[in-house]
Amino acid sequence: MTVYKQNIRHKSSLLIWVAGFILLLLGYRFFELQVVDYHKYWSKAQSNAVRRISVPAQRGIIYDRNGVSLVDNSPIYDMKVIPVDVTEVFNYGLLADVTGLEETELREKIRQGKRGISRFRPLLIQRHIGFEVMARLEEYRLELPGLIFSQLPARVYPDSCKLTHSLGYLRNITEEIIQHSDTTLNYRPDDIYGAAGLEMSYEAYLRGRDGVELHTVDILGRDLGVLQQENYYPPVPGSRLDLCIDARLQLKGERLLAGRRGALIAMDPVNGDVLAYVSSPDYDLDSFVGPIPYDLWNKWNTDPNRPLLNRVINGTYPPGSVMKLVAAAAALKYKSVSPTWTVNCTGSYVYGNRTYHCWNEGGHGLVNLKTAIKYSCNVYFYHLIQQMSLEQWASMARAFGFGSRTGIDLPYESRGVVPTKKYMNNKYTSRGWAKGNLLSFVIGQGDVLATPVQVAQMINLIAQKGRTCKPHLSKDIMLTPFRLDLKPSTWDFIQQAMWEVVNGEHGTGKSSRIPGPAVVRGKTGTSENPHGEPHSWYGGYVTLPDGRMMTIAIIVENGGKGSHVAAPMAKEMFQLFSDLYLTSG
Amino acid sequence: MQNKIISTSNSIRLQTKVIFPVVVLLIMGLMILKSTSSQVPFFDSTLYKQIIWIGLGIFAFFLIQYIRVQVFYEYAYILYGFMILALVMTYAMPAISGSHRWLFLGPIRFQPSELGKMILIFTLAKFLSDRRDQSHPVHTILLAFCLSAIPALIVFKQPDLGTAIIYIAITVPMLFWAGVHPYYLFLLLSPFISILAAFNLIAFYLWIGLVILILIYNQPKLWVGVVTVLVNIASGTLSTFIWNHLYPHQKQRILTFLDPMMDPRGAGYQIIQSITAIGSGGFLGKGLGQGTQTHLRFLPVRDTDFIISVLSEELGFIGIIVVLIAFFGLVYWVVTYARFVHNHFSSLTLVGIISMLFVHMSINMGMTVGWLPVTGLPAPFISYGGSFLLTSIAAVAMANNIISNDI
Repeated sequence: MTVYKQNIRHKSSLLIWVAGFILLLLGYRFFELQVVDYHKYWSKAQSNAVRRISVPAQRGIIYDRNGVSLVDNSPIYDMKVIPVDVTEVFNYGLLADVTGLEETELREKIRQGKRGISRFRPLLIQRHIGFEVMARLEEYRLELPGLIFSQLPARVYPDSCKLTHSLGYLRNITEEIIQHSDTTLNYRPDDIYGAAGLEMSYEAYLRGRDGVELHTVDILGRDLGVLQQENYYPPVPGSRLDLCIDARLQLKGERLLAGRRGALIAMDPVNGDVLAYVSSPDYDLDSFVGPIPYDLWNKWNTDPNRPLLNRVINGTYPPGSVMKLVAAAAALKYKSVSPTWTVNCTGSYVYGNRTYHCWNEGGHGLVNLKTAIKYSCNVYFYHLIQQMSLEQWASMARAFGFGSRTGIDLPYESRGVVPTKKYMNNKYTSRGWAKGNLLSFVIGQGDVLATPVQVAQMINLIAQKGRTCKPHLSKDIMLTPFRLDLKPSTWDFIQQAMWEVVNGEHGTGKSSRIPGPAVVRGKTGTSENPHGEPHSWYGGYVTLPDGRMMTIAIIVENGGKGSHVAAPMAKEMFQLFSDLYLTSG
Repeated sequence: MQNKIISTSNSIRLQTKVIFPVVVLLIMGLMILKSTSSQVPFFDSTLYKQIIWIGLGIFAFFLIQYIRVQVFYEYAYILYGFMILALVMTYAMPAISGSHRWLFLGPIRFQPSELGKMILIFTLAKFLSDRRDQSHPVHTILLAFCLSAIPALIVFKQPDLGTAIIYIAITVPMLFWAGVHPYYLFLLLSPFISILAAFNLIAFYLWIGLVILILIYNQPKLWVGVVTVLVNIASGTLSTFIWNHLYPHQKQRILTFLDPMMDPRGAGYQIIQSITAIGSGGFLGKGLGQGTQTHLRFLPVRDTDFIISVLSEELGFIGIIVVLIAFFGLVYWVVTYARFVHNHFSSLTLVGIISMLFVHMSINMGMTVGWLPVTGLPAPFISYGGSFLLTSIAAVAMANNIISNDI
């Protein structure tokens, strides 16, 4: 073996070639990464550093018919701390004072948060703090390094009237709700959604569309602010919702029913506008801002007064004597009897082996159709119903809207019950249908069940002689006509009878009469029920000299006689309506 | 003249062909450091410190021009002895982040392995120029590798894998330059390449085929050829066999042993981020200061080991082309001058210097593009870092001195 002697020129060029070749290889690799696969790495770098932040849309504000805001937005805050930013100057005592947390606990929590990679991530200290607390802490920003707040949307109820059951509330969305919801609503986890009432009915309308901001984030996930780019789009706030509710009438209604169990609904019979909507007792909507404490929810659920029940549309009651108007209309339509047909009321009536009583044990003497309505004589109607068939009575009841949903713009409305033979046979297999049932039905007892809104709707038909619209809370809704064609003379007769109830001598509804030019017509009801005192009913309407009207339906559970409890409440409502709308013109 | 360190008769000339590429690389490095330091006050920034180091480097550059080059030939073995001593002494010094790389002389921290790169070049240059008439290439090769292996092993245990690789790697081209037939170098190095190639079966078959082709071309004695092939196949199969029968935690332990500075968040993380940064830069780059990977800190050690990734992201493929061309220019001219330098020691020193710089650059770039494991070798003239920058400038200064005085 000999040392290989090579020309030095060859050696140097070989070295240069080798070096050049290696650099060329590296150059090729850079070319591959930067030119060939550029788009792949570009998008990878983008997704590395850009995060899509959802900007919540402002939920639509809800107003009453006069522009008084009933529901507004007010953010609440989650308070967090970025542990790594917390320095020695951090004033634990101050934070503990303001939030009511234990200082030692705070120290320990933050100390633990400072360990590990998560020290850069916000650590939740307290959920759902109000604006005032947030603002107070913001003042001491310098003493609280690392403290941050994240904003959450929440509802506030600025007006003194509550409208609890009609407004409804918002809840945090669940995976199940997302899966079953309309995809156009575009729900994402952590969203809130309307879970009851108008918030639910008009969810798509109120919700708006969340915007998207592109934020730059660094490797630790720290937000470095907005990245301006064209594919950013701002949030679209939810539409405002104008209600037919008159906050003044509403407040009056709520005060009238305060401390009682019952419901009240006031409407404009011309177009079905709901002017007041009260279900009592109610619950505190403000509690729905954050998570409802389990014990509070439990309390509401087990409360015998059932505050969560929306009585206006879900309370199904025997309508009592208010239902006699249906029988009267049927009698006139089918000409079962003539208006001059009379019955001698002795205070009771024996049918089969059972004695049926009139509310007036002493009896009303000779009564015809009109006076029977005026005095609310049961015996007359026991006789009357025997002049017609169940079908005739039931079809008239259904024509007045009983037994089916009124279509009010609230979710989960109840239907009530207009019994048929089939229904009775299904329900009471042993006894089944008996003609005696009719005697209960005609006075709105037994298996007849109606919701307050159905009663109000019946009054609407009467007030407008069969040409009204379906009830609705939103002003912006398309009106749906609701009609019942009866002879004008029939309507006139019922209206006159209702006038007599209120304005005639010894009429049962005389305590709903108001002085002045406004005219009140109505019908009381006293419905027996197995839970104690009878329910007190009132259905009626007021007509102002200029033709404006307001109908009302009131039930006070176990309130006693309609003439004594519900009718005076109606009077107050009529009086306020007349004061407000007569003077304002 | 003899034994004097300073030579007043030296001609001080700037070899522009060598200096120009270095200036280009330094400026590119400063541009990138300006970008990465944008959020830091100037006097705290790496940019500011780098400017100070470059200033010191320029001062050193002119000092070195007055050095009589032959002094390193005369004192090479003594310096080598001091180097080994200094390297051993690092073990008596406190460790910084788990490695014993530094000597502490009062307030001054000193990394002998960095200066050792130059000393080893001088030592090998002296050894090889002395032995150029010897007719035992195998002895020359083995002795030369002993000279580099001793300090390499010491720094490897510090642990500093990168520097150990440099020590071994500069030996190969210097042996070649000294006249050792590449065939012998090939025989010597082939088993190591076999071990590496064995990790990819196709690469291994291709490599063994290449070995056989080269053997046939060089017509060695039959037993030499057979033994070479067998040794290669054995080392290849052995490496896979052993590797495949290790438990994952043992593999991890070996990897960690080889590279203790491996990022604790996972070996692949840095590479993935580096490749993403490079690829997203595209042809023209995102512009200085616009690199999202860099400025959002997705990219680790962006001032030193991964500065090439920052450069690729912000200056694009164009920037890389400039770096590659500048560096190729440096290699081309230093090697070309080495051809014309009469003195064998000086010529070998030039080749050693350029090899040292080249290995740094190619390993650093290979690392940033994901071809080589992360070894922590900076890119010469571009990366921030005082002692290596000074070493690199001193090496170029030495080359400038040699070229100016011995052409």
